[in-house]
Amino acid sequence: MSSINSAQSEGPSGYRQAVELEFAEATKRYPGTDSAAVDGLSLTVPAGEICVLVGPSGCGKTTAMRMVNRMIDISDGDILVGGKSVKHRNADELRREIGYVIQQIGLFPHRTIADNIATVPRLLGWSKAKINDRVHELLELIGLPSEMATRYPTQLSGGQRQRVGVARALAADPPLMLMDEPFGAIDPINRERLQSEFLRLQAEIRKTIVFVTHDIDEAIRMGDKIAILQVGGKLAQYASPSEILLHPANAFVEDFVGADRALKRLALLRVSDIPRDQLGTANGGPEIAHDTILRDALSDLLQHGELHGRVVDEHGTAIGSLTVETLARLAKA
Amino acid sequence: MSATFAALGEFGDAISFIFTERENQRGSPVGGAENLPLLWEHLKLTAAAMALALVIALPLGLVLGHTGRFSFLAISTSNVGRAVPSVALIALFIAFFPRSPEFLNVTLALALLAIPPILTNAYVGVRQTDRDAVDAARGMGLSGAQIIRQIELPLALPLIFGGIKTSTVNVIATATIAPLVGVVTLGDPLVAASVYGREGQIGASIIVAVLAILAEVGLSAVQRAVTPDGIKLARGPEDRARTRFGLSKRRIQTAP
Amino acid sequence: MSLALFAQLELRDRENQPPSCVERNGFCPDWIADNWERYKTPLIEHIELTLISVAIGFVIAFSLALIAHRRRWLIPPITQITGILYTLPSVALFFLLLPLTGRGKTTAIIALVAYSLLIIFRNVITGLDEVPEEARDAGRGMGLTPRQLLWRVELPLALPAIMAGLRIAVTTTVGLTALVFLAGAGGLGEAIFADTQFRSNVVVAGGLCVVLAVVLDLTVLGVQKLITPWTRGVAT
Repeated sequence: MSSINSAQSEGPSGYRQAVELEFAEATKRYPGTDSAAVDGLSLTVPAGEICVLVGPSGCGKTTAMRMVNRMIDISDGDILVGGKSVKHRNADELRREIGYVIQQIGLFPHRTIADNIATVPRLLGWSKAKINDRVHELLELIGLPSEMATRYPTQLSGGQRQRVGVARALAADPPLMLMDEPFGAIDPINRERLQSEFLRLQAEIRKTIVFVTHDIDEAIRMGDKIAILQVGGKLAQYASPSEILLHPANAFVEDFVGADRALKRLALLRVSDIPRDQLGTANGGPEIAHDTILRDALSDLLQHGELHGRVVDEHGTAIGSLTVETLARLAKA
Repeated sequence: MSATFAALGEFGDAISFIFTERENQRGSPVGGAENLPLLWEHLKLTAAAMALALVIALPLGLVLGHTGRFSFLAISTSNVGRAVPSVALIALFIAFFPRSPEFLNVTLALALLAIPPILTNAYVGVRQTDRDAVDAARGMGLSGAQIIRQIELPLALPLIFGGIKTSTVNVIATATIAPLVGVVTLGDPLVAASVYGREGQIGASIIVAVLAILAEVGLSAVQRAVTPDGIKLARGPEDRARTRFGLSKRRIQTAP
Repeated sequence: MSLALFAQLELRDRENQPPSCVERNGFCPDWIADNWERYKTPLIEHIELTLISVAIGFVIAFSLALIAHRRRWLIPPITQITGILYTLPSVALFFLLLPLTGRGKTTAIIALVAYSLLIIFRNVITGLDEVPEEARDAGRGMGLTPRQLLWRVELPLALPAIMAGLRIAVTTTVGLTALVFLAGAGGLGEAIFADTQFRSNVVVAGGLCVVLAVVLDLTVLGVQKLITPWTRGVAT
């Protein structure tokens, strides 16, 4: 077993191939209740993408996620990880191959950071030297100094603990990760930092990720695709963030996404995403860098009381003009 | 030697009884080395009762705590245990099993007495481990036995040893009345004043008291030693001081 | 006459005249009904000793806790001293007190009080410690003096924990009072050891101890419910 694993996990250069995840009419009914918690959920998460499950409380998003590693058993339908049904697999073995991060983190208080991270590798019988290498590699990956390895969870800040939680889930280089409101308990400022950090990390490790949140802004920010669930565990819409903002499938989604969805859509695009021919000729106004997020560009223009700004590239050369009119059109588009 | 003790009055006589052998009114030797068989019987009885109680209560408490079932049973056993006086328990065994050896009867009664604190503390100790840590452990693929062994047991150990401490001190104390039903422990000089005299009564009491305090202090040290470092760090200095004096650990009993 | 024949004869003899329930040391409802009276005095002694000891123990431990609540450095030494008294086996204490107070009720009560101190002290302290800081803060904000804060906010909120300690003290003291006969102070323990072979006796005297413990426990619980109406309807 350990020989296979050593071939699979050789540090950043050799990450294990991510797998596709498929919900096939997955249903959960609790005994003694009429309505299903998750009702015939069908969607496919392509390998290496982040799928955010979002919805109001009671929509079954956490239940749907927990069925993947069989923390909750499926009543009907199936879930396929890498094309194989989870139903006939040994639950413990399955879980060791799937990273698992929860909001409360659940670090083991009696174990050091290194021992926490080493949990699954030890279960898989990795050698001591290999585990040690892996722990330090992961600490570096999440940006914690090596000397943290011998600390205990209580000696870390909330943000540091959350990073360790992620490192622990990544330890055995799982092809699939489940994350249940992983940044939910972090204050807003640090949450945003952790989110961008995680996106940078994901760009490198390219795992298939199921990410649960109740916060639509976080969903838009983190998701390659968003699955919006409504109470009763029904899938309301499964699409990319911009698609959901542009074409909400129904009144529920429209309401859930919020009245400011035009602004949210602008938050998804940068000036450089606008085709050059749609930028007019530069003619004054405040300077706007080409990598500015459109929502910030709009805010900038409004603040200056200008109807257009001068777009400049990384060398400071003016390459065109961005008008409020263009922004309004893009927000509605 | 006895001259030094004489200054202490009756306590001096008692201390002298502990260390020096003498003849009683009937001409049989008592005190000094003659106390050793009594001490040995006392320790044997305590060890037998504690071993039996541990074998029953510890696995039961851990498993009940792990599954979270029968919480009523695990908690109320302590309350019931307190309401049944130790004397009555011993007497019941003697009255209802007159044919079985006294040592066995008293061992069973003392074990019954020792079970509730261990069972309840093990149960509560496991239940109060961070449920999120247990959920994370399950999610990472630890089996039920691995979760008990690697997460719940180490985190519950301080409380478990708190329970063992309570029970041990209690059993040492109660073993003192065993001579009333024919098991000759350190309590013999207490109940048979005509054989040992007043200095024997007081002297044996001192030995029993010292024994109980040694058990308390020794097991408190064990309790501190088994507390995981990561948990000690989480506590403030005041809380740590309290654990040392058995405060916060015993607080558990207040939750009916 | 061979031994076997002798045994047979004896067996037949027994069959002709079966020994009575009392002779067999059995559990005999008739005997119990006839001899009920003999447990009255031990029971009353038992109740008296229990209530007096818990009352004295409560007054001492409660006062100590109030003092230590304001002067927190006192908590460790008081806990340690009451902890030693708690650890000392009561039976040993009866005899250690012999040279000072002799045999009798005084000795018994001192030992029982000594045992109850830690239980009550730590519960009062824990109860006071667990008063929510915001309640304390609100009280202070409304201009309550420390004394008013203690009696009107902190102690009422600590009552459930204090009463829980009292319940433990009462039930354990009932059990320990079964030992005071060793100090010559009577009680139900004396009745039990008057005849440990006789099941009727052991069951009645032991049973009375258990019933007494349960009744006193429920009484304290009832009082607690009565004086803490705000906890009603909340799962305990």
